Amino acid sequence: MDRLTRIKWIAAVLCAASALWAGVEFYEMRHYKEPVVLGPGVTQVQKLSAYEPSLAGTVNDCNVYILDSGRPGGTVLLIGGTHPEEPATNLTAQIFVENAKPEAGRLIVVTRANTSGSLYSRNGEAYPSFYEIKTSWGSKKWRLGDRAGSPLDSWPDPEVYVHYPSRQLLAYMDIRNLNRCWPGRPNGLLVERTTYGMAQMIRSLGVDVVVDLHEAELEYAVENTIVAHEKAQEIAAMASMMLTSTEFEVPIGMEFSPTALHGLSHREVGDHTPAMSLLYEVAEPLLDRIRGVTDQKLVLEGKDDFVVEAGKHKLLYAPIDENGWHIDVRVGRHISTFLQCLDIFSMMNPERTITITGVPRYAEVKEKGVGAFFHDPSKAAKDRVEYD
Amino acid sequence: MFAHAYMILGIVVAAFLAAKVLRLSTELSMLAAAFAAAVYHGVVWSGEFPLRHIVEGTFTYFDVCLIFISATFFMALVKESGGVAFIVRRIVGAFHSHRFICLLLLTFVMLIPGALTGSGATSVLTVGALVGSVLSAMGVDETRKAAAIFMTAAMSAAAPPINLWAMMAAAGANMPYVGFNGPLAVLSLLGALFSMFWLAGRASSDAHISREDALARLPEAPEGMNWLRVLLPFVVFGGLLAAGRIWPFDFPIIGLPMIFMLSACMVWLLSPVKLRVWRVLSDTVRNLLPLVGIMVVVGALIQILALSGARGVISLHVVILPLTTLFATLFIILPVSEGILQYAVAPLLGVPLIMLFNMKGMDPIVALSAMSVLWPLGDCLPPTAVIGRAAVMELHYEGRYYSDFVRACLIPMLFIAVCCTLFLIYSKQLAFLAV
Repeated sequence: MDRLTRIKWIAAVLCAASALWAGVEFYEMRHYKEPVVLGPGVTQVQKLSAYEPSLAGTVNDCNVYILDSGRPGGTVLLIGGTHPEEPATNLTAQIFVENAKPEAGRLIVVTRANTSGSLYSRNGEAYPSFYEIKTSWGSKKWRLGDRAGSPLDSWPDPEVYVHYPSRQLLAYMDIRNLNRCWPGRPNGLLVERTTYGMAQMIRSLGVDVVVDLHEAELEYAVENTIVAHEKAQEIAAMASMMLTSTEFEVPIGMEFSPTALHGLSHREVGDHTPAMSLLYEVAEPLLDRIRGVTDQKLVLEGKDDFVVEAGKHKLLYAPIDENGWHIDVRVGRHISTFLQCLDIFSMMNPERTITITGVPRYAEVKEKGVGAFFHDPSKAAKDRVEYD
Repeated sequence: MFAHAYMILGIVVAAFLAAKVLRLSTELSMLAAAFAAAVYHGVVWSGEFPLRHIVEGTFTYFDVCLIFISATFFMALVKESGGVAFIVRRIVGAFHSHRFICLLLLTFVMLIPGALTGSGATSVLTVGALVGSVLSAMGVDETRKAAAIFMTAAMSAAAPPINLWAMMAAAGANMPYVGFNGPLAVLSLLGALFSMFWLAGRASSDAHISREDALARLPEAPEGMNWLRVLLPFVVFGGLLAAGRIWPFDFPIIGLPMIFMLSACMVWLLSPVKLRVWRVLSDTVRNLLPLVGIMVVVGALIQILALSGARGVISLHVVILPLTTLFATLFIILPVSEGILQYAVAPLLGVPLIMLFNMKGMDPIVALSAMSVLWPLGDCLPPTAVIGRAAVMELHYEGRYYSDFVRACLIPMLFIAVCCTLFLIYSKQLAFLAV
């Protein structure tokens, strides 16, 4: 064997060993199931494939948690995990599943809207595969994931993504981005079918309000705000004023959903279903390009010296100091904003009242930490634990 | 955190230079830099060696590599079938006495392979030698000929529809790769035409070469080759692209690599000569290994830089620079950084710059297009000089690399740099191009 052949063999063996090492972590992430303890309000758990049968057997056949008060009122759908790299969204949704008790009307929750995206990490971004939150009974683990669905589940991408039905041209990878695929289509790719399933669910369950939770980099202009479809503008404006004046240290704004930008939930759900649609944004330094070390600490504590430095040069759309944007703050803001919007909706539509109790508001989440609101799956009855 | 990021950058530079001193290739030197930075970060910060991040990073540009390889395979088959020789002979035969039209058509011949593949190397390897032969027959001296081939190849890489720098930077900034065709086409066409006419517009010698002599210098096109056989594969390529846009909800999504492979099948079916497909494929992969290798390694390096905060600190220092400083220096910074890092500059510098420009109210598409035309100018600069070296090798150029060849490129480079800088400064006013 000559020297070159020997080098090639050594390189091949090293590559195979590296692939195996990394492959174990990829496998663990792809197959890890997140336990969800069904709270007192959960009356039924459905699969999304009940509304779009082609999703059956796919990773995006997510759980749909239904919390029905049994009393008349409206119906609201809360969507978490649209972009899995925005953890405050699925954590907020899960807190509702594990704690909420509807007193009037019905709450529907999806915690992992684009499960596919939560099963792999975004190349080049160095995100941690998992993050863990301390609770009184131990540590609880979630997958982090990417913004878009995994190419393992939806590939190849088109040369350019033509949005249905507007025919607007979008970046090719956005065909795996759940918040560019509304209202979806039944014969589309995986994520288009996922949004189609959710749109069908909204129609068939007579959902009045749809709320899509998000987080955004501080360099991004749409930040700490409620983006509202025309049907929901009054609710968003009132919620923004009340939350800013009574609960939040950093104000929450309100923006109109652009009519010319397609595929987003705040536009298409309002246009293509009878429901009104809202989208919430909160600051997440992990998503900033100028961030420092990328690790679980940044995911949870949201503290970053580089982002703070950029703020000093007025390059950010949200304030940040040495305290950062902690996960407790981000989740707390989403919970309070959701509850506030429901209160205003109920006030404006008394015959469609939705009342939810059992869920902490911003100040309580900040004080106790999000870990205080997740329950021990090992202590729960087996039929009261589901997996996302 | 700042100290850690600076230390990582220092280690990356030191490891890269050390590997270069040991005569490792650029891609292996980058890999060594990534490993060194990963070891330091693992020891000092996280307590574990981040091997997963290195492996994951190598797949960052997997799709781009597939497009790159399949597109180059398609163009290599066109060349092997005699299609390129046929086109060039027809151009010389018809327009030998019309220098202007001849140069115009040769510029387009140079632009097409790179525009379709995003790689200037593909233009050099598939049509460079033939176009070079025509230029020699037109009395262009060796230095100017090599410079013309390099400059048009560089502009072909920048030309739409596939510009890898713009694609990579847009993807990093969560920005659709849509609307780039207009500004990229204007800049790359201007650059390519100016380069060709500046360098080859006048014959260097008075010796008149007849049409017959010019044709005699070119390889024969195989018997039976005709326009239908040459153009039909391109029609299939364009047709599949168009079908995806015209009937997006009915036409199956097969992806760009498969579109190139189907077009390559059409070349194979229509070729008047028996094609040694496996050999062409092997040669294609072998020729592209350095470029694909760089993209694979760049992905790993970028992921380690992102993990350790070094990417962030670079981005931060870029975005806090005053705009006037950027306008005054980008035309140098971008080509020089391309010479050092190749495609790695797009996610490393392009993404923070585009976010800054967006924040400052500039048109991000026009601005990124301008940067994406500046970058390939650095492909003749050290230490990599990939396309420049490919051009001189393919043309068997025997002059001095820097003092003759690179020097001959300077005026066209300056022209392109001025155009791109104007596009940057007036991006808002030129936003109408981004449709």
